[in-house]
Amino acid sequence: MPEIRVTPLGAGQDVGRSCILVSIAGKNVMLDCGMHMGFNDDRRFPDFSYITRNGRLTDFLDCVIISHFHLDHCGALPYFSEMVGYDGPIYMTHPTQAICPILLEDYRKIAVDKKGEANFFTSQMIKDCMKKVVAVHLHQTVQVDDELEIKAYYAGHVLGAAMFQIKVGSESVVYTGDYNMTPDRHLGAAWIDKCRPNLLITESTYATTIRDSKRCRERDFLKKVHEAVERGGKVLIPVFALGRAQELCILLETFWERMNLKAPIYFSTGLTEKANHYYKLFITWTNQKIRKTFVQRNMFEFKHIKAFDRAFADNPGPMVVFATPGMLHAGQSLQIFRKWAGNEKNMVIMPGYCVQGTVGHKILSGQRKLEMEGRQVLEVKMQVEYMSFSAHADAKGIMQLVGQAEPESVLLVHGEAKKMEFLKQKIEQEFRVNCYMPANGETVTLPTSPSIPVGISLGLLKREMAQGLLPDAKKPRLLHGTLIMKDSNFRLVSSEQALKELGLAEHQLRFTCRVHLHDPRKEQETAMRVYSHLKSVLKDHCVQHLPDGSVTVESILIQAAAHSEDPGTKVLLVSWTYQDEELGSYLTSLLKKGLPQASS
Amino acid sequence: MDPECSQLLPALCAVLADPRQPVADDTCLEKLLDWFKTITKAGSSLLLLQENPCLVELLCHVLKPQDLSSRVLSFSLRLAGVFAAQEDCFQYLQGELLPRLFGEPGPLGGAAWTAPSVRSGWIQGLRSLAQHPSALHFLADCGAVDTIFSLQGDSSLFVASAAGQLLVHILGLSMQGLAEGHPSLQAGDWPVCAQKIVGHIEESLHSTAVPQITQALNVLTTTFGHCHDPWTQVLWVRLSPLVGSLLEKDPVPAAHSLVDLLLSVARSPGLSSSSCGLWETLAQTLNHLSPTQAGPLALGILKLQDCPQVLRAQAFVILLQPLACVLKATGQDPGPSDVLDSATGDSLTVDALLSSKAACVGLLCRTLAHLELLQPLPQRPCPWPQEPLLGAAVTLLQLCRGSASPASDVGRHLCALLLGCVRVQRAALDFLGTLSQETGPQELVTEVFAVLLEYLRSPDSSPTVLKKAFQATFRWLLSSPKTPGCCDLEPHALLVLRELLPVLQKRLCSPCWEVRDSGLEFLTQMTRHWGGQAGFRHALLASEVPKLTEQLLRDPESYVRASAVTVMGQLSSQGLHVTPVSPEHPGGQQKSLLVELLHILSTDSEGFPRRAVMQVFTQWLRDHHADVAGDTEQFMARVLQVASQDLDWEVRAQGLELALVFLEQTLGQFHSHCPYAVTPPVAAPAGPLAQALQPLCRVRLFEFAFRALFDCDRPVAQKSCDLLLFLRAKTASSSGSLQESRSGPDVASVEAALQRWQAGDQGQPLGDLEPEVVLAVLRSVDLEGLRGALAEGSDHMEKSPQSLLQDMLATVGVLGENEADCY
Repeated sequence: MPEIRVTPLGAGQDVGRSCILVSIAGKNVMLDCGMHMGFNDDRRFPDFSYITRNGRLTDFLDCVIISHFHLDHCGALPYFSEMVGYDGPIYMTHPTQAICPILLEDYRKIAVDKKGEANFFTSQMIKDCMKKVVAVHLHQTVQVDDELEIKAYYAGHVLGAAMFQIKVGSESVVYTGDYNMTPDRHLGAAWIDKCRPNLLITESTYATTIRDSKRCRERDFLKKVHEAVERGGKVLIPVFALGRAQELCILLETFWERMNLKAPIYFSTGLTEKANHYYKLFITWTNQKIRKTFVQRNMFEFKHIKAFDRAFADNPGPMVVFATPGMLHAGQSLQIFRKWAGNEKNMVIMPGYCVQGTVGHKILSGQRKLEMEGRQVLEVKMQVEYMSFSAHADAKGIMQLVGQAEPESVLLVHGEAKKMEFLKQKIEQEFRVNCYMPANGETVTLPTSPSIPVGISLGLLKREMAQGLLPDAKKPRLLHGTLIMKDSNFRLVSSEQALKELGLAEHQLRFTCRVHLHDPRKEQETAMRVYSHLKSVLKDHCVQHLPDGSVTVESILIQAAAHSEDPGTKVLLVSWTYQDEELGSYLTSLLKKGLPQASS
Repeated sequence: MDPECSQLLPALCAVLADPRQPVADDTCLEKLLDWFKTITKAGSSLLLLQENPCLVELLCHVLKPQDLSSRVLSFSLRLAGVFAAQEDCFQYLQGELLPRLFGEPGPLGGAAWTAPSVRSGWIQGLRSLAQHPSALHFLADCGAVDTIFSLQGDSSLFVASAAGQLLVHILGLSMQGLAEGHPSLQAGDWPVCAQKIVGHIEESLHSTAVPQITQALNVLTTTFGHCHDPWTQVLWVRLSPLVGSLLEKDPVPAAHSLVDLLLSVARSPGLSSSSCGLWETLAQTLNHLSPTQAGPLALGILKLQDCPQVLRAQAFVILLQPLACVLKATGQDPGPSDVLDSATGDSLTVDALLSSKAACVGLLCRTLAHLELLQPLPQRPCPWPQEPLLGAAVTLLQLCRGSASPASDVGRHLCALLLGCVRVQRAALDFLGTLSQETGPQELVTEVFAVLLEYLRSPDSSPTVLKKAFQATFRWLLSSPKTPGCCDLEPHALLVLRELLPVLQKRLCSPCWEVRDSGLEFLTQMTRHWGGQAGFRHALLASEVPKLTEQLLRDPESYVRASAVTVMGQLSSQGLHVTPVSPEHPGGQQKSLLVELLHILSTDSEGFPRRAVMQVFTQWLRDHHADVAGDTEQFMARVLQVASQDLDWEVRAQGLELALVFLEQTLGQFHSHCPYAVTPPVAAPAGPLAQALQPLCRVRLFEFAFRALFDCDRPVAQKSCDLLLFLRAKTASSSGSLQESRSGPDVASVEAALQRWQAGDQGQPLGDLEPEVVLAVLRSVDLEGLRGALAEGSDHMEKSPQSLLQDMLATVGVLGENEADCY
């Protein structure tokens, strides 16, 4: 029985390191290869030993697909390809290919810088890994090999994020990665056609949430920044180099312009140029408004946002600074935070999630006295705000996508078990499809019934046409012929052609049956009675009484003979070919009921 | 446990036991468990539980029927196991708690069992506690072993695998006593637990269900892989007939696991020497398995140290069969080697090769990978059929390109299957590269270069294939025979090089950055090896390659720019960088490269090219590159000024590396190879110390180093600390020769600046420092203390257990709706 098998190694009932193995029609695909930012040891990577035990990785896996550049989706890639030893193709979109190494490099530097880790992938490994990448365009069907093909769809979320359709023959799976169903200031909404996959693997981060209006959140954010700046405070916004930071920049830039504000806004030097470069390069991946206005004004060339210099942190007066990294766990953002934390006029806005063990996590959970190196205690007097600007589909959006793609089954990943449970029920009720939510390491097996294409010979088709029946795509039609399987191909041909092609001689095969009739008359008379009876019953068939006394109906032959022991009984010998199987069976059952009395 | 943590623990246990309080982060419980493992490893668990009764209370509490999260339940099971690993603590918990946690009345029988994390926690808990004989009795009494049997087939891979591991562990533990005494040959005398497990394995091996057979084989593989006690021999003697009987089935069930087991047995010194027909079984298995399945076994056999020659020969024949088929199909003589000759006739392999494209590609890639692994091993078969293998690799590459025209039907079929197949191209190129370890007859080597050039020229070659073709070409150029006493390329290789350079030239203009970069990496390797050789120099200078490389310094892709910087640095070092001398720039071309590299260092938006520039500069300084040697001080001053401002800490760190080289050169040569080793100098500076330090002061090395001491990126601070400690050690012996003015205003202002920097302020530049001031500051700064502080990761505070407990407690009640939102 053909089947699709899905095993999450990560993102099964959790939001950690996405890594999902899919087996479809004998092809094995890895969807995302992420890392968990919360661990500092091997646990940060998915446990690949479950794949390596199947033999050589490159032989087992047909390809790896990366949905977008966030590290929980691509962070383990250099480790997987350069240290574990995967040497096959890796697919991602062009923007993801361009931005991925920047984030990987950033992460590598923090790991080496912060923790002094030696056994970590190197810059050279990141480069070698990126050289194995095959970049794809949206809606371009890419043949991984003769049978396996993939296609990317727009997912919103971050620049270059894509959903991927994986198809082998008539079987297909769609993996959404992270996606957003509502457009924002710089990206569009996710979209997929009615591709009716066997399975839709969707993220479910906000499985139970209907998110409040984006406008409200934005207003809130601007109000807070404005208030802090008005009272002369400094605002720190820790961000990751690329991603949601650009959304916030556009938001502030527009607000500053409208309100004619003068306080400086800074962005870590180098990053603005870099971001600008990529957004320009991949302008087609942004939303319609940005694309339209691009010719007159590039939205990413900010008037109010300037490059930051370390010395600026000591400048008097209000300012807003975007600094990396986003969780306040090292580098510039942490350095500025330490400097500004003691002043209650200042504010830090955390625009995303922080893992345990980072200063970001501590201040978000309300800790105000942070122990630093050398028993120093840093008192956090500055205002701490959390404003999520991540772009995931909420419950409504997920349902919308399921409705759009019309899958046969749905599988939830990248979410929490309890929330998934709720969404699962909702999907099952509304769409009447099975919904699965495997934990990490659990395999979901879906039986499929693949349609197998069969070629029909022209001769056979012409014969059918000759019968006056024109083909109708909407009506299934019964067609007799001989199925030839050769060179992994199926062809339906007329039996004559099959004989000729295969060089075989034809043998007649007849089914036979004996029917006992109570009739003391002579054999010829019995045969005559049979003839008359059948003639009257089978009006649409050609019933004949042959000179030798036998009766024929189409290919069916009936002969009457005397019973060797009982002279009052006659034996009817009925035989027919397989073509008249139905009629033959009908006829014997008819004869078994006996002949009508009236004619006697 | 320190008192602060002890104080926080009760509150934390209360939070964990409260089903209304969600646990903040799934990593927290893992880290908490790590911490408990560390504590119990260092001290008594019993004492820990007695001093912190809240822990036992937590374990009791999770057993109450309630809607507790599966994560906390799983954590508690694992925690209980960690404590019960010590026998006295086990006794303490055994009365009621352990049977309720791990026996029928516990989660095992409840709804929570449906969560894989709970099943996993149950297994891991048992795995931790199974450390002593009492634990074995407990396992037997609570019926755990049967549950573990069933968990081997769990729907979760993690649980199933852990169950198998646990069985291996329990078997080993229960046999431990026996192993220490007299290993009984009668398995009937074995402990109950062991008998039960062995019985289960036997039953599974008898089964017709493949998953069950696989589980049994995996348990045995792990057992024989980890334990070499005498009892394992008894076990193998008992089970080998059953394992052997699997070979009688068609197809052989669980072939992959069977191969693993047999190889594990063969690697075990005690087992392989026992007389239970292992070699016969291996030979039989080789014959029974399909060509695809037999490959890994054949490779495993050939890797064994002691193995009968006949079996090795058989294994090698099997391994070579697919390639022998390729040679035969393309009408080539497999050569004089008997091995390949005997490998040709296998119809099974031909069938496997031709059955479908996927099967053909899979088998060939595996075969090539296996042979690639085998080639460098000392125990590889001898004689090694180098020629036919080379022939096969070349033929495969030709088949993939469609440049071979085989006469036979099989050959044509193969050609159709392999045409354009990137997977086989990659595998064959890797293999071809490995084969360069040995050479072959000249005609064949010519063919190798021809096919490599064909690939490098072909517009159809994918970037990954091109990269591998470049690598293989380099390896073959390296291996080409050399004239004794001369390391230049031999005439034939030079001919190849002349053909190669136009191809490289074309590839450096490729629209794919991957290809341009691979081309530059190839050029780097070549220049490194033959940059000084006349033949190579002549060929390279006659080509457009150096000019194109220079243009790539302005490539839009930063990786390519970085590679171009590296190559240009090297070309320049070797005197291979020629730009036409223009009348506007008299004085040579090297200057312009230096200027160009400085420009990249100060303006490039990406870190890779800037880092590459720093590496080139460091190398130039080491090599006394003419350009640098001309005015080293000016060069140093400019580079350090730019590098110290760089946003990329690796560039700053490399700036310090450059400073160190300069320091070494200025202060004289030393014996110590490790510049960071704090040892008294063997050779004192040539002149008076102050004079020796003057150039360092003039290039403003000290301001950079002092500032870097408090760099927000730890490696920079560490590097600077090491550099200054090194300098201090060097100057220690000469301290008497200087008039230090410790109380002078300059020293005070430098010290004040250091304090400001430590506080995170940037401040103004220091200006020109005098050597005396530097030395005084060097002695006043607590460099050792700083080095100690820097040795710890900058996150060591956040990583501490106290911080973890505080974080977990602080999260209570503040978890919003968006906690799962990763980015």
